[in-house]
Amino acid sequence: MAGGTPRVHYLAGFSCPLGGLAAGKPRVLCHEADVFLSTGSEFVYVYDQEGGLLTAVYRFPDQVWHLQLLAPRRALYVLCARRGIYCLSLDTPSRSVSQANKDSEEDELPYPVMPVDPDACVLPDATLCAFIVLDDMLVALAQGPTQWKMQLFEHPCLGEDPQPGGQIGEVELSTYTPEIGIPGKPTAPHFLPVLCCMSLPGSRAPHGHPQACGGFTLEEALFGLLFGADATLLESPVILCGLPDGQLCCVALRALVTSRSAPGDPKALVRILHHLEEPVVFIGALKTEPQTEEAVESELSSMEVHSDCLVALGHHGRTLAIKASFDKSGNLVPELQEYFLPGPVLCAACGGGGRIYHSTPSDLRVVDLAQGSIPLDPQQPNRAPGSLPPTLCPTSLSVCSVLTVSVSPRAPAGETELLALSAKGRLMSCSLSPKSPGPTRMTSASADRKIKELLSGIGDVSERVSFLKKAVDQRNKALTSLNEAMNVSCALLSSREGPRPISCTTTTSWSHLPLQDVLTATCLLQNSGDFSLDRGWTLCIQVLTSSSALDLDAAGSAVTYTIPVDRLGPGSQREVTLPLGPTESGVLDLPVTVSCALFYSLREVVGGALAPSDPLEDPFLEEHALDLLPEQEGICLPLSRLTVDMLRCLRFPGLASPHTQAPCLLSPARDPVDTFLEACCGPSSEPTGPASLRAKYLPPSVASIKVSAELLRTALEDAHSGVPLCSATLQWLLAENAAVDIVKARALSSVQGVAPNGTDIHLIIREVAVTDLCPAGPIQAVEIQVESSSLADMCRAHHAIVGRMQAMVREQAAQSSSPPDLRMQYLRQIHANHEALLREVQALRDRLCTEDEASSCATAQRLLQVYKQLRSPSLVLL
Amino acid sequence: QSRQRVLLGGCLDLWKEKNDRLVRQAKVAQDSGVSLRRHKLVQDTLEGLRELLHILHGLPAAVPVLPLELTVTCNFIILKVSLAQGFTEDQAQDIQRGLERVLETQEQLGPRPEQGIRKLWESVLCASSLLPKLLCALHHLAGLQAALWLSIDRLEDLALLLQTLNGNQNGASKDLLLLLKTWNPPAEESDAPLTLQNAQGLRDILLTAFAYRQGLQELISGSLPRALSSLHEAASGLCPRPLLVQVYTALGSCLRKMGNPQRALLYLIAALKGGSPWGLPLLEASRLYRQLGDTAAELESLELLVEALSTTHSSEVPQPLIEVELLLPRPDPASPLYCGTQSQAKHLLASRCLQMGRAEDAAEHYLDLLALLLDGSDPRFCPPTSPPGPCMPEVFLEAAAALIQAGRAQDALTVCEELLTRTSSLLPKMLQPWEDARKGTKELPSCPLWVSAVYLLQGRAWVQLRAPKEAISEFSRCLELLFRAIPEDKEQGAASNCEQGCRSDMALKHLRAAALISRGLEWAANGQDTKALQDFLLSVQVCPGNRDASFYLLQTLRRLDRKDEAAAFCWRLQAQTQLSLPLYLEIYLSWIHSPDCETFLEEFQTSLQEPHDL
Repeated sequence: MAGGTPRVHYLAGFSCPLGGLAAGKPRVLCHEADVFLSTGSEFVYVYDQEGGLLTAVYRFPDQVWHLQLLAPRRALYVLCARRGIYCLSLDTPSRSVSQANKDSEEDELPYPVMPVDPDACVLPDATLCAFIVLDDMLVALAQGPTQWKMQLFEHPCLGEDPQPGGQIGEVELSTYTPEIGIPGKPTAPHFLPVLCCMSLPGSRAPHGHPQACGGFTLEEALFGLLFGADATLLESPVILCGLPDGQLCCVALRALVTSRSAPGDPKALVRILHHLEEPVVFIGALKTEPQTEEAVESELSSMEVHSDCLVALGHHGRTLAIKASFDKSGNLVPELQEYFLPGPVLCAACGGGGRIYHSTPSDLRVVDLAQGSIPLDPQQPNRAPGSLPPTLCPTSLSVCSVLTVSVSPRAPAGETELLALSAKGRLMSCSLSPKSPGPTRMTSASADRKIKELLSGIGDVSERVSFLKKAVDQRNKALTSLNEAMNVSCALLSSREGPRPISCTTTTSWSHLPLQDVLTATCLLQNSGDFSLDRGWTLCIQVLTSSSALDLDAAGSAVTYTIPVDRLGPGSQREVTLPLGPTESGVLDLPVTVSCALFYSLREVVGGALAPSDPLEDPFLEEHALDLLPEQEGICLPLSRLTVDMLRCLRFPGLASPHTQAPCLLSPARDPVDTFLEACCGPSSEPTGPASLRAKYLPPSVASIKVSAELLRTALEDAHSGVPLCSATLQWLLAENAAVDIVKARALSSVQGVAPNGTDIHLIIREVAVTDLCPAGPIQAVEIQVESSSLADMCRAHHAIVGRMQAMVREQAAQSSSPPDLRMQYLRQIHANHEALLREVQALRDRLCTEDEASSCATAQRLLQVYKQLRSPSLVLL
Repeated sequence: QSRQRVLLGGCLDLWKEKNDRLVRQAKVAQDSGVSLRRHKLVQDTLEGLRELLHILHGLPAAVPVLPLELTVTCNFIILKVSLAQGFTEDQAQDIQRGLERVLETQEQLGPRPEQGIRKLWESVLCASSLLPKLLCALHHLAGLQAALWLSIDRLEDLALLLQTLNGNQNGASKDLLLLLKTWNPPAEESDAPLTLQNAQGLRDILLTAFAYRQGLQELISGSLPRALSSLHEAASGLCPRPLLVQVYTALGSCLRKMGNPQRALLYLIAALKGGSPWGLPLLEASRLYRQLGDTAAELESLELLVEALSTTHSSEVPQPLIEVELLLPRPDPASPLYCGTQSQAKHLLASRCLQMGRAEDAAEHYLDLLALLLDGSDPRFCPPTSPPGPCMPEVFLEAAAALIQAGRAQDALTVCEELLTRTSSLLPKMLQPWEDARKGTKELPSCPLWVSAVYLLQGRAWVQLRAPKEAISEFSRCLELLFRAIPEDKEQGAASNCEQGCRSDMALKHLRAAALISRGLEWAANGQDTKALQDFLLSVQVCPGNRDASFYLLQTLRRLDRKDEAAAFCWRLQAQTQLSLPLYLEIYLSWIHSPDCETFLEEFQTSLQEPHDL
């Protein structure tokens, strides 16, 4: 197994931007003693492992996205973003480099930076996203406007007269949705497609080191099974392509030759093998079955491993492995197994003996697909010896944030050496020995080495620790916050009776603004519990206006204010004041309901912990993790609810004592009717005045409610004992109004107020005796009369009073007091009258809908009369 | 303010000069041969144009600058399209930007961008009546918009745009061809900034491209007289040479279908005179000769076709212009003007030879084809397989059949052996079927049809080599596979995707019958009549529509003097049905077909009916 602690050596450090390198584009290749490396910037570095120094740095015109080495030709192919593919010869580095400005400005650097000559571009194409070089051919993947295009070129090498073109085949792969970017400006894709070449053993597709060339040799059975009889017969290499949308498709290279005028038919050429449903980051092949001795020898001699398992890794860790096996009847069938490795996978590489190394931001891990070959459990005889393991257990190698990894071919037999580039721009080699060496006697030389190893180990561990610590801190914070939120919720929800630990009281008041007086609601959030409300809590105040009485169809509007509660410790309080109206047009649709609730946003608190703090984990992950939380996910705790009705909003300018009266109490917008009447009267009829005219032509609308005195007395006796009943009733009605103190002080039983829009409202309360109702004699009752010149305001006030009455009656009904004996006949009569009136209302309203203007006027008149009758019932609330 | 104007005038001259210099540079680049240098030069020009456009866009739109700005936009689009060899979404945005800039100069803001490009054009052309200076540049831009819409098949929008350009006569015809013809872009003034391709040039190209597209569509849909007139229109227009070859070939194809082979031939000859690519007219000529029944000429044109496709036609340097080809849909294999690759032509030639009875030639062509395919030294030589055609194993089988037909049984055996070794890893393990039978497994291994066909052909080769023992064992092996194995579904990897559906069903039946008849014949030749009879009987049961099976059965029954059985069987005779089978199977069936089968069956039936009549 690959266990044992790896020995990590730091080889070199490379410049890296603030916040670390981005995953996906860096590459590391190893050829003999040279390491070729790109960090995703525009540089390609050549590092000499033996000398331990950089030998060359090439600068390209744009970011480098992919490197590939063609060892037999000693050529390095480089994909430069938005430029195309460049070819550098390893033998004569100066040839492909423009000499002119070499060493001119980079004096401070210890190594020469060589700008690459534009002539070294063998395939200029701005849309290329991936390529793979085979012996004499090059396969490139270009991003068309809507589709991926696979193109085949021949002999793209440095020649005396390099030719563009030479394209001998093209086929369109699947469609893709273009990423949204700035129009006209090509954006860098977040995930590049992955290409990989699979060939048959013995076919003439010589690779120096197949993996360095992105190629693998597959066993015949698996090859034939995956790619078909035609590809097998022709011994054609097959290009596997993993796309960012998760599609895994393959194209037989020999079939890709098409005439220039006509691209190949995708249905005939492209075979879709699988869909990973997440960006494919790696495709490779492995040898999972144990080799026989001869096989080992023959393979050693041919330097070729015939892989029997195809693997593909997705960005989020979904892993696919395919093997060929025979079913019971002897048919060749594919054995397909999907695994879920911890993601996000930044890079991966195939090692010897069925091992896949894959890196996540937090760790480099290894899984062994060959473990299935060894029958672990003798109790499971059903499993064929060569089948894939049902699950994979990743073993940690304790190296974090590796962006690209490659298996070095130079490792001594039995050992594995990985070359890796970390997010901090450090190139390291990681040696894995199959078994840890036993204790040996320490010589001074070995002690020296040992110390170096320990030191580099410490460096690696510290990098890892700082990363992990950050992650842990964040999660801890989120957990603490969640815990407090749970406490608060429990406390609020469990204390139904008694004072709540967190309360919200709402009061209303009029405030004077330069242009207009505004009714404001003040919500006072008090925390009398033991917990503090922390980040993530929001106070939500919903203001719901009733639909306008004049416009029956309009629904009421609701406005929700959200106020973040930023640390509300025990015992502290916060006040929020909101305007309720009237709006600019002077409208205040009463009643208005103000509901307060506390909202705890999981997204805000947990999202932070789920979201990566590390730039390594690309922004996609953040979206992905947060997608798990629905938009509105959170805890909502209702606190209070208040209905602001007319009685609350009434103002009594006449009551205010001169010194407390605001100097400029807004004289409400002048009633247009008054203006009109005034104009009508003219100067001559001065003494009559508009008031008398109004009284003559526009009598105030009146509504009244009668309540039995006994009912009121019992209801009010606690609060208002010793006060005359009429005055007590008025006090009760105006309990929430600011004027209640004056009413109390003067023991008023009638009061003249002003509605929000400025019309007068007269509340008159008097004691009456109702005679006809009860056989036992007259019933003492209190009549509450509302008068207003505005019908709408009178209705609102009436509605408010009725609302209070209903509440009171409901309360009193609980302590049932027997009603006096009533004259049923009389009651029935009244009831029948009312029903007739209601029927008439219905009929009139129906007529209103259908009639024309002239007759509807009369109908409306009649309707108003009926309503008036209805508002003055002869009934008494008992 | 006058100073400002002088300053602007100076800048205007400067920018105009830059535009002219870049245009000249692009035209120079075009002459400097195929090389990366040239590519780079063009790229630099494009970059220069982009910069210039950037500068111009940085200023508020102004009427004096707009003609230059629109011209630079047009040049930029033309170069970009010719470099990318196609239109993309970017070009649509570039055009839209240009239009919005024009509207900016008008006080009214005009329609919002979301109102769509069509509305934008309407209001711009409406406004342009007030700005006669802009007219020329706007027609130029409109030409590019038309090309873009033609390339993405938005013909309705195109017609509307042309109507507006033509002055929007009410009741103007919707015929695009007519609209294009009547569109007369104003001529450029002598001091106008240089363009890569002017509006008139664009108009001519649009006209040719549209006529050709329409003609091709009508040719495919079968409305031949209209296709003929459209194609004539295309041929009379401005047509680059390779396209002219295509148009002439299409004309030839159209006339052939209309029953005018001689006139068709004239067009094909004209096409061939037009120079490379020769492939298309040659393929069409072979179809024509096939229709005329002139086998020699047909095969000769196919041979020429193979040769023509082997030469790599030098890719023409794309001009920094919008060319007709860019506006044409990409040819698909179903189109009559699709000329495949060299290997497809070679395969067509070989199979035609085989079908026409020229077995020796067929064998040679097949061997050539296989050698080229398996050698793999020429990366340009790809397998001839595509969904309508055969898959690779079938090509092998056809080759073997051709070799047997040509009397080269030993070579046929080699080809079969090669096929089996190359696919050995794919074959199910049932090649040791006896073991499975002993184990008593019920499930049957599946196997591609062609594997059994290999054994069938091997058997036939042994028959030809006069080795009845080997022949019978191969036939038995074939039958073993055919009866035990179910033909594989297309999902199974090892099968080729062309083997599917009812074709494979029918082929299976006929393969079984053929194998049974072949073995029966061998038994009969060895004098083992009972075994022969058994096989013939089985073959009739397996494939009742096969007349040859009935023939051999009846013949054997008669020889054995079992007349009653023969009579009883004869009533059940079925008529031969016409079906399409793989070529190798058709050839095989022709081998076991007896020439006097039909006369014999008829005689037999009448002889049976006579006693009844009496």
